[in-house]
Amino acid sequence: MSAPGEVMETEFKTIEGTSPQFRILLGVLVLLIIAGLWSSWVMFAQGLYVTGMNNRVPWGLQIIMAVFYVGLSAGSLVISSLYAIFGKKEYKPFARISVSLAILFLVAALLSIILDWGRPDRIFVPFMYFNPISMFTINPFLYISYILICSFYLWAMFKERDVLIKILAVVAVTWAIGVHSGTGMIFGFVPRELYQSALLPPSFIAAAVSSGTAMMILVILGLFKFTRRPLDHDLIVRLGRFLAIFIFGVLYFIAVENLYRWYLPQSREAALFFLFDGVQAWVFWLGMILIGSIIPAFILLRRRTGQSIPWIVAASVMVVFGVLCERYLIVVPGQTYYPHLFPGFEITRSVVEEGIVAYNIGFLEIVQAVGIFAIIGLVFVLGLKTLKLLPTEARA
Amino acid sequence: MSTNSRGDGKATGTMDRRKVLKAGGLLLGAPACACALPAFGGERSGAQHGSDVPHWGMVVDVTKCREGDGCDACITTCRVENNLPPLENPATDIHFIRKVNIRRKHAENAVETTVPLLCNHCDNPPCVQVCPVRASFQRADGIVMCDPHRCIGCRYCLIACPYNARYFVYGGSHDEEQSNPTLAKRSHGVSTACNFCAHRVDEGGTPACVEACRQEGGGALVFGDLNDPDSEISRLVAANKARGLREDLGTHPKVYYIGL
Repeated sequence: MSAPGEVMETEFKTIEGTSPQFRILLGVLVLLIIAGLWSSWVMFAQGLYVTGMNNRVPWGLQIIMAVFYVGLSAGSLVISSLYAIFGKKEYKPFARISVSLAILFLVAALLSIILDWGRPDRIFVPFMYFNPISMFTINPFLYISYILICSFYLWAMFKERDVLIKILAVVAVTWAIGVHSGTGMIFGFVPRELYQSALLPPSFIAAAVSSGTAMMILVILGLFKFTRRPLDHDLIVRLGRFLAIFIFGVLYFIAVENLYRWYLPQSREAALFFLFDGVQAWVFWLGMILIGSIIPAFILLRRRTGQSIPWIVAASVMVVFGVLCERYLIVVPGQTYYPHLFPGFEITRSVVEEGIVAYNIGFLEIVQAVGIFAIIGLVFVLGLKTLKLLPTEARA
Repeated sequence: MSTNSRGDGKATGTMDRRKVLKAGGLLLGAPACACALPAFGGERSGAQHGSDVPHWGMVVDVTKCREGDGCDACITTCRVENNLPPLENPATDIHFIRKVNIRRKHAENAVETTVPLLCNHCDNPPCVQVCPVRASFQRADGIVMCDPHRCIGCRYCLIACPYNARYFVYGGSHDEEQSNPTLAKRSHGVSTACNFCAHRVDEGGTPACVEACRQEGGGALVFGDLNDPDSEISRLVAANKARGLREDLGTHPKVYYIGL
């Protein structure tokens, strides 16, 4: 037991990685990776008609996942910032996992984007012929530099260089804000009714912080349970309270955005389509609002449930699900809703789909997304075995 | 009492200052670079009267479009000229020129009008603005094209175009003979769009659809040089009879419509 006022030094240790469950986990991940690579090969060799995407909805699951991963990446940095910037030593045990996941989630985002291209074999072309004002150039620049900064940040943590850690934490968080705003601008700066919005960059940050915190709660609980290392539940309860606040941040931006679109006559039809017509109405009200925001907020704010780990786990899973729904709502309705070519007129006959269309996620897209998740999963668990990422214990 | 972890006797203060300066440089440098980014948008090329370089545009007179007679000369000729694959699925078919029927909403007995639609070759093209590799670009003569050898297939141009004018080659097996063997074969995985038949225009001709409409159709399509004030197209546009689609979006389309 430590004396009052004396800070326990956190000791980090690798995991053994020899148990049968661990080996099975590795095997499963490798199989999923192979499946993902196979589906990517089919898409590349045969063309993207094997997916659910089409000329009206050219961006599908991989773009949804890329945006989701970017959010998780910045959000997981929140916990390391509590320690590195705000000096809350009780979160130091989670700092290294937090930064490693920030790196890995962004790698997953880049993989999702690159494997979504029609010609991923032309990977070097963007480096040679980039267009500096395209959001698809600015963002990979931000993503790659962010990965480098976070890697440097993680290295500083291994070396216990406290001052460097603090500076890099500030740089990393600043960069994360840039990364997120940039990702929001990919959609927000495009002249489509359900994309064009100045609120998208800041609302991305809100969703990132929310999903990242929820994911970190789940990862931390899972890791400490799987490795049977002691974890003070009070730390998780505190993170749960932060999560409740972040949920309201997301709700605020969603509310303002939809109110704005509904209020203005020019966007009212699009707003009503988004909220009440089609599959995304279900995803919005049931997936994002009810399951993703209201129920978890209720759970986390009520004294009895907000202090119980199983309830916090349920709430965190719901929040992650809700943000995934929100990413779907950012990417897909903007495409399924039609651009108004002739205001005041209706198109009575067309050869391409000129009206409202649907997007059905293809099986190969799901296999590819699972494969990408398995890649970073494999790197992460192998990292736990080779690097001292996990602390021996976490006490409040 | 904590000793300096470096153990070299230097006070920790001096190393901290250097690191703060480095970090500060990074923090200031990043937004400075962002500010140095060139102006977002702005006209890529505009019409310049009297210039040697032509500025190609088109006028579509929907009152002359003979759709009622079952005429689709522009469409069939375009498909043959540009090796467009046979129609299979409205969701993924490629159309360089297509026709829609429109009817005014909230009006009793509103008439239907047939409107040919194609790439508007905007002077402020959103597709060019968003292309990460500049495969989508605008030539000096105003034609907007997509280089299929550079395109990485990210489909951002499809997202950015407000006119549904950009198409992605989704693939599927198309092993039939090319209808126009003078053009390079189109691979899947890249973006494509109408390019005003640049291969014909560069030889002094006009796009295939314009010629077909003149010969077989109602002569609804007029192609010409907006830089030449005496050309038919310039006179039509200057007489304020024609307007582009959704000009409020600031794209400055160069396909003007009469009768809409």
